[in-house]
Amino acid sequence: MRFRDILVFISLFIITTNAIAHHVLGRPSYSLGEDSNTPPSMQVETQIGEYYVTYMAFPAFPKPGDAGRVNLYASRIDNGAPFDGKVTFKVRDDSFFASKEEVLGVQDIDDGVYRQGFVFKEAGDYIITAQFESGGEPYTIDFPLRIGEPFPIGPLGISISVIALLLIFVNITQRKRLARIKASQHHQKDQKKPTE
Amino acid sequence: MLESVLSQINTLVYQTSEGMVHPGLSAGWVLFVLVSMLLLSVWLMRSVSVAAQPLNSGIVSVYNLPFIGKNIQRIITRPTVLTLLRIFTAAVFLLVIAAGLFGTQVAERNIATTLTWTLWWSGVVISVFFVGSAWCAICPWDAIATWLVRRKLWKRGSMLSSLNLRVPKIIRNIWPALGMFVVLTWLELGYGVTVSPYATALLALLIVVLATISLAVYERKAFCRYFCAVGRTLGAYGGIAPIALRPIDNAVCASCKTLECFNGSQDIEPCPTHLVMGSLKQNTYCTSCGACTQSCPHQNVNWQIRNIGDEITYSARPHWDESWFILGLLSLTVFHGFTMMPYWEDWMRQLAYLTGDSGRILTSFSIGMGVAMLVPVLLYSASIAWLQFIMGKQEEWRRVFSSMALSILPLAFAYHIAHNLSHLVRESQGFLSVIANPFGTDTLPLSMHEIHMRHMNPLVDDNIIFALQATLILFGFWMALKILRYRLPQLINTSGATVSRWVFVPMLLFISLISMVNLWLLMQPMIMRM
Repeated sequence: MRFRDILVFISLFIITTNAIAHHVLGRPSYSLGEDSNTPPSMQVETQIGEYYVTYMAFPAFPKPGDAGRVNLYASRIDNGAPFDGKVTFKVRDDSFFASKEEVLGVQDIDDGVYRQGFVFKEAGDYIITAQFESGGEPYTIDFPLRIGEPFPIGPLGISISVIALLLIFVNITQRKRLARIKASQHHQKDQKKPTE
Repeated sequence: MLESVLSQINTLVYQTSEGMVHPGLSAGWVLFVLVSMLLLSVWLMRSVSVAAQPLNSGIVSVYNLPFIGKNIQRIITRPTVLTLLRIFTAAVFLLVIAAGLFGTQVAERNIATTLTWTLWWSGVVISVFFVGSAWCAICPWDAIATWLVRRKLWKRGSMLSSLNLRVPKIIRNIWPALGMFVVLTWLELGYGVTVSPYATALLALLIVVLATISLAVYERKAFCRYFCAVGRTLGAYGGIAPIALRPIDNAVCASCKTLECFNGSQDIEPCPTHLVMGSLKQNTYCTSCGACTQSCPHQNVNWQIRNIGDEITYSARPHWDESWFILGLLSLTVFHGFTMMPYWEDWMRQLAYLTGDSGRILTSFSIGMGVAMLVPVLLYSASIAWLQFIMGKQEEWRRVFSSMALSILPLAFAYHIAHNLSHLVRESQGFLSVIANPFGTDTLPLSMHEIHMRHMNPLVDDNIIFALQATLILFGFWMALKILRYRLPQLINTSGATVSRWVFVPMLLFISLISMVNLWLLMQPMIMRM
């Protein structure tokens, strides 16, 4: 009897653990794709100065033309009081040497959250920056955002093409050189023959 | 009393910082290192006679090791194991490229960034301490380039596969490798390639393309010898390593007429970096590829276990470009440390305000990097000028500059390892989960909870890390003084006469200053990379 109780408990424990591991809010986690009605978000938490900041982007992997949103929560580390001033959201292109920056908007707190919408027309890497001032100190939080898929075929294609062209060039050049050497040796043999 | 002194030191040198940082070396360890440095300095100044070079003392052939010696000999004189290792590293390297290009762009969840920057970049320098430049033997950049160009898995390729041109004289030195190291550092710390899987993959691809071009155009492996920053760094540090490829019997090499180690054999490639085993005195250009062990018809090449640092103390002869590379290593390692201090970000912010720089503040970073690299160079040059003045300008500037450069190499090596140890031990937590999901599919950035957990639970206890770091700094200082004690009298006279103790002062001050800066950097809280 005692043994059966233990067995039932262990079985239930194993089954329950599996259920927690594989489901999010009762739904299988693998069904949370980009096309789901609750698309996954990208969330970053950080401590900066006297604030604990949580930054969320919806959807996590937006495409060009998709409407997206950034949510920012900032609360004091010492007493948990939310920041209630204005927050400026900016965006800049994160590609090499690009430094152009645009202001997305200035937001007031709304139900404890700062919300900033965005629509990107072009794919690429961007940095969204949230700025606010508290106690005379400026606060800046950067958040990377990828719009659309990266271009993996480009660099791979370029690398393979460069290597292939180079190897073909080397091969042809060396074959020609070998042919020249053979011809020259043949020519020398021919020149030597009359004197022999 | 001691508590009060330690507390004063704490308030003087530690800066409180924002965000997640690694703890710095505790004041007790710092005090221990400083007192030991003082005692070692007194030892140097009191015993200034020319130190005698030991005659091959402590050298052991790996082949003669009990039980394992013969097995090691079988392994390294045949290409099978090395080829398998190269296939393995090349496969992992291709996985890194694929994960960087196609995987998640969350750095801490992608194998491209975690394996490349946290494990490999940190660990490869530490590996020199145990196995010298062995990494070069299984380097995937060279392996892939060789397979593409030579079209042979391990055997000697056709001469038709390369143009076999000589490298132009102007770049037949390691200035290109130093330039590549500066560029890599700029990309790593300035552009932030360490936190971008995509950029990491692009960099990996670029280096393979460069290695392939070099192999297809120039004779032997010019990329390994002249251009590769990693190879030249391992080569420079390899002089300190306790292991090296050397002849078993020098007389056999002296009587050898065929020089298979240099020319190769029918099946085995020649030495990729133009070395002749019989005259090999320093590890700078040895890539540990094992071609000489496989091609030698007399089986006269083996791995030797020797005293740490004996090569750079007694036998190495650095050239002008090599001494600059060493100085560059020192500058860049110290610079690495600075950029991970909370101070650095403040300085860069202020510089950006001054210069009107915005965005990634790459201009400010470049200026800061330039200045940070220039300061050690100027200080070293001033020390050499002072030394030359004390010596009465008997010696040529270049000779003094090059000869003394070896004494600063252990400082760079010791700090490099001590710094990397922090990254390796404190940031490689969670790597198993990255191996399980190398592309980081459907993963999110680390939450604050996860970051805190990693921060609170390093792989090794903090006290062990502190002990290792303090020992390393002390080791670097001791080794630097040992080299100075042997080389400086050699430089001044070769007759064995006692030299004035004042000639040691300029370099002793420089070595002490750099050691203290390194120690101070290790005391500071270090910002976590990912």
